Amino acid sequence: MIRLLRSNILDITGFTVILALLWLLSLGSGLKETIVIPPSLLNLNTIFLSILIEAFPFVLIGVLIAGMIQIFVTEEHISKWIPKNKYMAIVMSCSVGALFPACECGIVPIVRRLVGKGVPVAAAIGFMLTGPLINPIVIASTYMAFGNDVKIAALRMSLGFIIALIVAFIIGSLFKGTQFKQSFSAVTHSHINNKNFFEKFWSMLQHSIDEFFDMAKYLIAGAFLAAVVQTYMPAKSLLEIGSGTAASLAVMMGLAFFLSLCSEADAFIGASFSSIFPATSILGFLIFGPMIDLKNTLMMMSVFRFKFVMSVLAVVAGTVFIILMLLSGLL
Amino acid sequence: MKFHAQQAARSLILLGFSVLIYMMHYTGEILLFINPKYLLLSQAAAFIFLILFFIQITRVWTLKSADASESCGHEDGCCSQDHDHNHDHGDTPFSVKKLVSYSIILLPLLTGFLLPAKVLDSSIADKKGAMLSIAGSSKKENNKESVNGNLSGQDTNNNDLQTDQDSISTEDTATVTGYENEKSEAEYEKLMKQLQESPLIDFNESIFSTYYEEISSNIDKFQGRKVSLNGFVYKEEGFSENQLVVSRFLVTHCVADASIIGFLSEFPDAGKIQKDTWIRVEGVIENSTYMDSPIPLIKVTKWEEIKEPESPYLYPISIRRN
Repeated sequence: MIRLLRSNILDITGFTVILALLWLLSLGSGLKETIVIPPSLLNLNTIFLSILIEAFPFVLIGVLIAGMIQIFVTEEHISKWIPKNKYMAIVMSCSVGALFPACECGIVPIVRRLVGKGVPVAAAIGFMLTGPLINPIVIASTYMAFGNDVKIAALRMSLGFIIALIVAFIIGSLFKGTQFKQSFSAVTHSHINNKNFFEKFWSMLQHSIDEFFDMAKYLIAGAFLAAVVQTYMPAKSLLEIGSGTAASLAVMMGLAFFLSLCSEADAFIGASFSSIFPATSILGFLIFGPMIDLKNTLMMMSVFRFKFVMSVLAVVAGTVFIILMLLSGLL
Repeated sequence: MKFHAQQAARSLILLGFSVLIYMMHYTGEILLFINPKYLLLSQAAAFIFLILFFIQITRVWTLKSADASESCGHEDGCCSQDHDHNHDHGDTPFSVKKLVSYSIILLPLLTGFLLPAKVLDSSIADKKGAMLSIAGSSKKENNKESVNGNLSGQDTNNNDLQTDQDSISTEDTATVTGYENEKSEAEYEKLMKQLQESPLIDFNESIFSTYYEEISSNIDKFQGRKVSLNGFVYKEEGFSENQLVVSRFLVTHCVADASIIGFLSEFPDAGKIQKDTWIRVEGVIENSTYMDSPIPLIKVTKWEEIKEPESPYLYPISIRRN
């Protein structure tokens, strides 16, 4: 009896939800013709939605992987896999990140799960920095965008890897512990071990949903801000600031941060600046953007303490800037 | 039986995203957002949202007492003892903070359903620094030539063709949706041959960006050739009365990464044509410069206004290797 009622109620709930949406849909088609909205707002909305639509597949893959880690990987696994030596752990995580074809939209939930499972926070940050930056698709698109010149693509990957290592070492010496927000102090499930596979799989999917809702608001806010920047901030005004190497490097890094482009597509945008800026600044754009951008920073805030996120941002920006300035004579 | 309003809201949101994406695919509006190459990926996202929705609706109703462990894993049973567990299951009491986050999540659903998608226009081109990137593309290609070595004249043709192909075919072409800009090797070679030999270089949608790069990188070689192309009108401060750019957006992933390409054109009527008008022009390529970068310029001989094309964006071509 209860079972019957329950299955019916599921149907009814689903049905109500669908009806509500249909109503919204019909409302929408009426509104589209009646309301006049300034074109710049429509541009803004189109860019905003396009970032989200493009990011969703990657975010969903990210939260599913995070859900899998949460349910199927135990602390014992992690402590067996990760080297005891702090530096070895960082080198390993950066290398794993380089092999792992992640996207910056999807990587934050994975990083959070790894830290929750006992991966040292510095190693997880190393993984977060190399994951989106170094992978075959990014290498191919960079190579293409710069007129089949292997130099920029090679520099992007090699310098990116070195910078990620340095950042992770610095973070490792500055921070201990998980750095999670207080409300999220790390406790892992002790009650999942005695379940069968199907139950585990089911709760993995539920975890993925929760993870999605934790991330979604930050992803959406980030996409919105990035769209505002694209719609209202002229690239030219930025260019007027930057004429020297240092200024133009700072400008390009700022641009990479605010545009929040996907690492697989940013090479084409970067390449379009190569006539006005030196290679150093272009590399700043290409290396800094995938490591940290506006969207990503907001998503990190959903997990880590504000102070920690800001420190990571500052250390990454500082390291990229200093390394590229030191090498600018050679590039 | 207990009804969880927040879980219901979450399931509504998940279904909403799924329906939004499916609807965009159904109406074809999706092509105003992303490169068709990623259509399948985005459908997969809509499908995952749908699955997650079906999982989520099981959490909307829970049986009050003993059934908790059966119905939803750990939530009621465990997390009450374990409530510093590190994320929100949607069971904690509703607060202002939550209202804000749910409103943020609802925003794209509302604007997605209520507002029409728009084709990017010249104001976006302006913000993206259109002329800078146009001038940039020609200089960039010059660099490439110096890397390839100093082959000259006829030899360069073949050589460039070869390298272009190699690079382009490295792109993944696994998805087949019928919309994407994909060509077989033979078709591509035929089009490139037309670029070299045909009396009138015709820029059709699929080859536009490839021709554009070829011409920008070898302006001298194409000087004096006749071309014909479509695009929307873009104008920038500092243009003279008879100048405009016949431009297009090239979309790699989604319109957020659209970059602008196009040809600076000169003809007496240019001053009369409004920005964002779609036109078809015919003319002859000449050498020119913009901010010290060499760029191709089209001396227009014939022009007409046209309707906005069904697919206003260009996509980088990918070569299918059989």
